[in-house]
Amino acid sequence: MAGYAASNLLAGTQQAISTAYKTLLLIEASTGTAARRIKVHEFVFGTDGTPADQVMTYDVSRTTAAGTATSITALPLDPADAAMLGLTVGNHTVEPTVTAASSLWAAGINQRATHRWVAFPGQELVIPATNLAGLAFRAKSPGYTGTGVVQLEFQEQ
Amino acid sequence: MRNPGGVFIYTSPEGEVVTESFTCGHCGNLVEVKPKQDPANIGGLCKCCMKLICAGCVARGNCDPFEKKLLRAEARGIALRSYGL
Repeated sequence: MAGYAASNLLAGTQQAISTAYKTLLLIEASTGTAARRIKVHEFVFGTDGTPADQVMTYDVSRTTAAGTATSITALPLDPADAAMLGLTVGNHTVEPTVTAASSLWAAGINQRATHRWVAFPGQELVIPATNLAGLAFRAKSPGYTGTGVVQLEFQEQ
Repeated sequence: MRNPGGVFIYTSPEGEVVTESFTCGHCGNLVEVKPKQDPANIGGLCKCCMKLICAGCVARGNCDPFEKKLLRAEARGIALRSYGL
């Protein structure tokens, strides 16, 4: 069981937020080497554009395909751990395939605010060990056209 | 909550607000529990699996634990691997 951290700042070009959901970061299980369950125990949503008072809608949903995005190397929290077997991609230019009505969490939040969630042991968001099953961390806004940031910490088991 | 499953930390220029959460034992959804919130509005306790569940799963009225859902989702891959595929 190894822990990893990833954010959409690690690779690629941040994409502008628009009125439709933009996926900032996606993690998924992969049978490339061996499918393993992924358990997300922390996420942080925020923006890094010009501050203003407007609403941001953040969402975490299940996915079945990754879309077009930049590959991101998740960083092991313990440097002695091996590389993640699943896939981490971010800054999507083509949205992933999101399962309908699969939002695990969504909230409307002021653009100036940062929202962080930390799970206690046993209460993580779980991705099954199924090829291409994943979680998309995405954002949209009716007014904000700058960029967003999401940071994840998760375990692969 | 007596035994929260996590915390939301909302940081804005006005200050910091911390609320608690739990993860639905049937569907894995995150449920935010605000201070003094009416328990009837946030879900319930499944008396079969003894897990806190979200309002949507309370409305469904059956017990289908999330762990069993995961095993069903993974069953095809497990079978294919057992065949060496």
